[in-house]
Amino acid sequence: MCGINQDPEPSGTGDGTGTGTNAVFTALLEDSVEELYESAPCGYLSTLMDGTIAKINTTLLGWLGMDRETVVGRLRFADLLTVGGKLYHETHFAPLLRMRGEISGIALEMKVTGGGRLPVLISSVVKHGSEGEPLLIRTTVFDASDRRTYEEELLRRKQEAEQARAEAERARAEAEQARRQAEADRAQLADALAVLQQSLLPASLPLVPGLETAVHYHTASANRLGGDFYDLFPIDDTRWGFFLGDVCGKGPEAAALTSLTRYTLRAAAFHDPEPAVALTTLNSVLHDRYTATGDPRYCTAVFGIVEPGAEHDQATVRLASGGHPPALIVRAGGQVDSLPTPGGMLVGVLPTAPFTTAEATLAAGDTLLLYTDGLTEARTGPTRKNLYGEEALYAFVAARAPSAPQEVITALTGLLGSFGDGLDDDTALLAFGVPAARPHTLPATDHLR
Amino acid sequence: MSPLTITGRDTTTGPVVEVVGDLDYAHATALRQQVERLTLRPGQRLVVDLASLEFCDSSGITALLAARQHAQAAGADIVLSGVPTNTLRVLTIVGLDRVFTIRPDAATA
Amino acid sequence: MDICSRNNVTVTGRPDGPAVVLAHGFGCDQNMWRLIVPALADRYRVVLFDYVGSGGSDLSSWNEERYATLDGYAQDVVDVCDELDLERAVFVGHSVSAMVGVLAAKAAPERIGALVMVAPSPCYIDDDGYRGGFTAEDIDELLASLESNYLGWSSAMAPVIMGNPERPELGQELTNSFCATDPDIARVFARTTFLSDSRRDLKDVRVPTLVLECAQDVIAPREVGAFVHAAIPSSRLVTLNATGHCPQLSAPEATGEAIQEFLESLQ
Repeated sequence: MCGINQDPEPSGTGDGTGTGTNAVFTALLEDSVEELYESAPCGYLSTLMDGTIAKINTTLLGWLGMDRETVVGRLRFADLLTVGGKLYHETHFAPLLRMRGEISGIALEMKVTGGGRLPVLISSVVKHGSEGEPLLIRTTVFDASDRRTYEEELLRRKQEAEQARAEAERARAEAEQARRQAEADRAQLADALAVLQQSLLPASLPLVPGLETAVHYHTASANRLGGDFYDLFPIDDTRWGFFLGDVCGKGPEAAALTSLTRYTLRAAAFHDPEPAVALTTLNSVLHDRYTATGDPRYCTAVFGIVEPGAEHDQATVRLASGGHPPALIVRAGGQVDSLPTPGGMLVGVLPTAPFTTAEATLAAGDTLLLYTDGLTEARTGPTRKNLYGEEALYAFVAARAPSAPQEVITALTGLLGSFGDGLDDDTALLAFGVPAARPHTLPATDHLR
Repeated sequence: MSPLTITGRDTTTGPVVEVVGDLDYAHATALRQQVERLTLRPGQRLVVDLASLEFCDSSGITALLAARQHAQAAGADIVLSGVPTNTLRVLTIVGLDRVFTIRPDAATA
Repeated sequence: MDICSRNNVTVTGRPDGPAVVLAHGFGCDQNMWRLIVPALADRYRVVLFDYVGSGGSDLSSWNEERYATLDGYAQDVVDVCDELDLERAVFVGHSVSAMVGVLAAKAAPERIGALVMVAPSPCYIDDDGYRGGFTAEDIDELLASLESNYLGWSSAMAPVIMGNPERPELGQELTNSFCATDPDIARVFARTTFLSDSRRDLKDVRVPTLVLECAQDVIAPREVGAFVHAAIPSSRLVTLNATGHCPQLSAPEATGEAIQEFLESLQ
């Protein structure tokens, strides 16, 4: 029609609305109202209030594959729907249409002859009579196949997203569960380690009449069992046994060795508390158990007997060393002596090993210190390359001499702390001495961590 | 802490195992395993060159003792060469200076 | 939250008259009864409500566990009767609500004195020797329809309670929310309704009962009406000359008359 205007503009006519143009349109289209209805691009149908179909257009009949004769006056609107649609029609569609007189855009499915289904969008309106009574229902039906496909796609994606979310939630919950379980396991393990740790060392030192005692144990790692050991125990009415040492390696294997060592020394002491004999017994036990079976392991240890005098003004010490750093004695006068035991061999490696014995007497105010090499092997200095060393230890102790056992231990505990992460090995410190002032015993201290 | 590197070579008198880095709890097993893989014949000499050893703890000493056992079982000798000062000090305290043969460097071993 | 708000309770009619409780079924809400309330309001105290999850009820009170069985809905009925302190009220239940009434009457016999069942069905799915009218696959199709049509419901918008609850008038415009439900809630209600089986509960009915069925009802076919009538010894069966499942909408006068006749017979 573009650009062609054969119709002369009506002039002189009253309204000048271009009715001539309309006539051209209508003539060209050759559409009767009938044709508009029957061949519309949508389906039309009209029903009585009970649903009986009174009129239906050709388009809809064509979509459904049905004849007019089969439908008009014989079927109800609901009969054209699938079963689910019928249910929806009765429970939602019809009530809403009754109450509001109209309903639009409802998605349903109609049955196609031959077994197919046509997704449709339905709009209906009630025609009322002159007194407002409902007469009939006019319904328009739109083919919604593409729209339905799109909806189903959206729905499917929504369901997939929902599923993915639920699975992610499940995975998260499982991970959370696993994490909590791992946390519980770790806590349980830490508890077990702590209990084991406790069993490797005495809970506290006994009260020794005539002696002051002090001890400190430092664990390098909270999760590793200790490799150092010590003990102080009565042998008889006048004598007390003591030992301190260091097993090779770390972890549960070292702990097993610690345990064996401690109980072997305790048992040996009751049999014969002579220090070199006790160490010899230990050497045989460890050698037979480990080295002889192709798994060399060893410990270094000092074993000794201390006998406080009856007046509590002195004590004699007799000890033997198996490859262990020498004991220090901090004298009441301020000097520091070592108690060397040259020639001692580490315990457990050779079938027979020499152990050197030494003796000392502690006077009032003297303190004897035993330590493991975690202390002297600590890395110091700005580059952490230097080891603290024995000389430094001697100087440290000497600067604070004379010192009672607890004072020595406290000072050395502070020193250990000052090493920070330069201290990466367990360290045991045991000190005992004759009280300087009144001859009364101070309570034994529990070992600190 | 340096990781451990172990290299080996053969000489007319026997294998030489060179230890570089830290011989500690985490790495000592590697030395043990390496040594135990060596085939030693009676009369041979295993040299463990410690010139580049940076650190040695009780686990390291255990590894050296195991090497000694392996050598002895094969009827061979073991020599530690190039032992650093710190390690020598420790070996002395525990009495192993009288158990191991110690030489200043690998060449004269 | 009080029950009257929770279940959107409407009380109308004669305040001192005998109580009649109208309960909607699956699909819409208390507005289904609009056309017959006027007939009852003169002589009776009419109580309308929405089950939690439908109509203007409080959706936040809904939980899947409770409303996945008919007992949950029966509890709503008992709650409403307790709240209003009703004694031997007449309970009018449409469709599945008729069965809800049976359960409520069993649970609270002092509250419910008679039952009117409008287009009832105790079981919608065919069984051996029993024709309910549907198969399980048919119910799945219904659920698919529910998914596709929200009828104006929007999760962003709470249903608006219709105005003037005291005297609902014919022709008053309903809010857009009539028949609109949260699709998740509707799905649960649909499954609960169409997968329920209350046939065994019918024998426990001890009160006068009217069974109102439609001549042609796809959802509750004639066989079902006959079954219900036979299962309740004290029941009366009236077949309305109406098509479809909601005679209170499609044939309100006949429905109202049948109910009134029954109510008068109780006096």
